Amino acid sequence: MRRAWKIYRLLAAQNLKRLMEYKADFLTGAISFLVDQAIGIAFIFIIFTQIPQLAGFTFEQIVFIYGFSQIPKGLDHLLADNLWCVGYFIVRKGDFDKYLTRPINPLFHVIAETFQVDAIGELVVGIGLIVYAAPNAGLHLSVWTILLSVIVIPFSALIYTSLKIMTSALAFWLKSSGFIIQMVYGMNEFSKYPTTIYSFPVRIFVTYIIPFAFTGYYPALYILTGNNPWFNIGGFLLSHFLSGTREYHHMKVPVHKIL
Amino acid sequence: MNKIRKRYVPFMKAGVQSLIIYRMNFLGFIIGGLIYCFVMFYLWRAVFDSNGGGMFLGFSMTDMVIYLFLSNTTSQLTFSSVSNDIGEEIKDGSIAMRLLKPVNTDLSYLFNELGGVLLKLVIFVIPMILGLEIYRYCVTGTIMFNAINFLLYVLSAILAYIISFRINLCFGFIAFYVKNLWGIGILKNSIIGFLSGSLIPLAFMPEVLRLCLEYMPFASMSYTPVMIYMGKYGAYEILFRLGIQVVWAVLLYGLSKLIWLGAIKKLCVQGG
Repeated sequence: MRRAWKIYRLLAAQNLKRLMEYKADFLTGAISFLVDQAIGIAFIFIIFTQIPQLAGFTFEQIVFIYGFSQIPKGLDHLLADNLWCVGYFIVRKGDFDKYLTRPINPLFHVIAETFQVDAIGELVVGIGLIVYAAPNAGLHLSVWTILLSVIVIPFSALIYTSLKIMTSALAFWLKSSGFIIQMVYGMNEFSKYPTTIYSFPVRIFVTYIIPFAFTGYYPALYILTGNNPWFNIGGFLLSHFLSGTREYHHMKVPVHKIL
Repeated sequence: MNKIRKRYVPFMKAGVQSLIIYRMNFLGFIIGGLIYCFVMFYLWRAVFDSNGGGMFLGFSMTDMVIYLFLSNTTSQLTFSSVSNDIGEEIKDGSIAMRLLKPVNTDLSYLFNELGGVLLKLVIFVIPMILGLEIYRYCVTGTIMFNAINFLLYVLSAILAYIISFRINLCFGFIAFYVKNLWGIGILKNSIIGFLSGSLIPLAFMPEVLRLCLEYMPFASMSYTPVMIYMGKYGAYEILFRLGIQVVWAVLLYGLSKLIWLGAIKKLCVQGG
């Protein structure tokens, strides 16, 4: 464990050096994620100039859900961004061999290699929106709701990471799976809004199959209402545990395949 | 003409071949866009319900569905990845191989992509329009397909593609200066998504902003063809909008040439 931490620090430092080489790029990256978020909010704002409530939620509540959903997304983006490259070109260009010749777990190496500072954009916006919306969203604050929703964040980020591991590993069969990652990852759009607006099959899909609803709406709903902690938080831990173990094995198999 | 065919058709073939080899990616790209449309569809349905049904800023729900899916389809059709291609080629140095060939650089990129655009038109755009018309028939009970609007849509979409290609070319040439395009690329895509009206119809924006955006080249990239298809414009307005598209296409052609002249002197490959 200590060795892993040491390697992680070394790789992250390397990565920061590379970032300094492309300074302008880092800045534009962070700014662009900020702009992306601002546009999402502008969209909600324009809708709310016409209607007072959306599916029974006020503007502040929708903003709160939106902001909450961005934090796990940003966390995954910060720590596990290199999986995109695996899907897009590392396997296709034959660079994956590099990870197999080193005496550490290839999956760990892939993930540790990038530390994507662009994600600051998402994290800042997520936290900012929560701070903005919290006073007027009618939160159900108690020690439990706060504690559980903080605990849940890293696990929500793991849902993203697990799905990315699974889809990027498809590149071992298909050579390049970037757009499949894009496709599954893109479903995180569903987590930004209340699941009650979706039709029944879609709701089942984003809750139980690609469980993105647990990265935003359900935990946020728990803080908003204080209801159903077992489902909103517990159900999520369960789905996370299942998908996490499945994804890890999924990655292990194809690595042996190319050996 | 013969010379052009001999020189550039191989680029087109190579483009189509790489698309077919990585067809799963291509499919994923299309399905990803559709998923996004469905999220938006549900969101808008909730908005219309909260609004008490009926019209929302001059759009009915049927209009909204057509708008959502068609504008997504159109932006995928007119999407150009040339800026990423240039960025990648500069990063790994393979741009040198392209510059050595006795071909016009922009045209070689254009033909690389053109095959894919045609493929998208046949296997994606036409079925989508068919599906939307069937949807509209089921909802309203009348066939609302208008062949003239469709032909004008195709014409306008071609102009939209040219504009999109030129804008992306200009962005790509920026890589000659900043070396790495990744961040700028994301910024560009989200800005285009917003300004082109593929996220929120420009008609819903505040009056002043809408007027500004309608004259910018981004609106020409998907909003104009979609509004033409939906029959939201009268005959004079269609001519006027097409005129704006032509003007932008010409201006951006000039701009990309100008940037190219400056950029080519700056080429510096860092090798990763």
